[in-house]
Amino acid sequence: MIKFFMNTLIALMFGFFALNASAEGDIQIQDPWVQAPPPNVKVLAAYLEIKNNGEKPRILTGVSSPAFGQVGIHQSVMHGNMVHMEQLKELTIPPHASTALKPGGMHFMLMDAKKPLNIGDQVPMTLTFQSGEKIEVKAIVRSGQAAGMEDHQHMNHSGHMH
Amino acid sequence: MTNQRGVLTRRGLALLLAIAVVCTAAITAFIVWRPGHDVVVKPPVEIEDYLFWQAKDLTDFKLTGADSKTLCLKDMKGKWSFIFFGYINCPDVCPLTMGILGQTFNLIEKVPAAFQEIQGIFVSVDPKRDTPELIKEYASHFNSKFTGVTGDTTQLDAFSRQMSALYTIEPQKTGDAYQVTHTSTIFLVDPQGRLYGRFPPPHTPQEIAGIFLKIRTFYNEGVNK
Repeated sequence: MIKFFMNTLIALMFGFFALNASAEGDIQIQDPWVQAPPPNVKVLAAYLEIKNNGEKPRILTGVSSPAFGQVGIHQSVMHGNMVHMEQLKELTIPPHASTALKPGGMHFMLMDAKKPLNIGDQVPMTLTFQSGEKIEVKAIVRSGQAAGMEDHQHMNHSGHMH
Repeated sequence: MTNQRGVLTRRGLALLLAIAVVCTAAITAFIVWRPGHDVVVKPPVEIEDYLFWQAKDLTDFKLTGADSKTLCLKDMKGKWSFIFFGYINCPDVCPLTMGILGQTFNLIEKVPAAFQEIQGIFVSVDPKRDTPELIKEYASHFNSKFTGVTGDTTQLDAFSRQMSALYTIEPQKTGDAYQVTHTSTIFLVDPQGRLYGRFPPPHTPQEIAGIFLKIRTFYNEGVNK
């Protein structure tokens, strides 16, 4: 019975993601991850790469996560050696191009965590595009201290989830 | 006429030569000798850009760490201090930089003599939210050689202004959801308590560790002369 239930669940999940993927054929999400929070940190950052394989620009207008009260699209901006963060209303991914969110640059700012996160946890996030399309991703919590500077060797390509 | 011209030319040449000698001597003296300082050896090209032209004596300051411990100028003496200004609820640049600095320390650990001499200091410029206890936990998470301190505005300014490490706290938005603008440069204070060098972003652990070891060698050569 449990097995049957699990199978159904898995089938449903596959169906769900397949549906998503077909609607989002043009958009590919790669390597979504969340910086493992150091102690006492309440605000986290998530990173990923968004690939637009289509002919039209895609505009990301919002991000949400059931694990956080609020998620914003942010960018760390340097003026000389001074750094501050700016909120972006939207993020445009040009056709046949890829936009990488990585440490020291653009990121999703995750605020009001519902519960503490540990390395290895998965954070579900929903990316909403201007067209109304939504993409579900699961970002893994990891300590990616220099990940932004490494080559893409750790890319797991699991962001698309199907 | 020819003779006369010849004499003039010889005199002119002698004069030119004299001027050249004086100029060369003056320039050399300027480079090698600076008033009130020991003989200055020109640093190797690869570390030049990371050093201040003249090491700057810090004036005393007082910052607060966990367990009511204070950090003063005397705590910098005898150590190389890597200093970074930030705040705990900075989600992107602070954990990135602190993580890189932690990895830098791991690389320096391969040179035990150098490793013994280093300490990391995280200065929170957000004392309203960051208590010394929270800062200590935060900083030591990245490396056991890191301490965390903060202070009131006067204390923070007295310290940060000596490094031109400006910071501004964003005008209050809603409650505690404000941001802080801060410098992303890592500062290096030498074992005499002088501002000695700086590492501007972007950082890599390999770069900072490699440059630091060269800076330390250069410094030690100067001290032992």
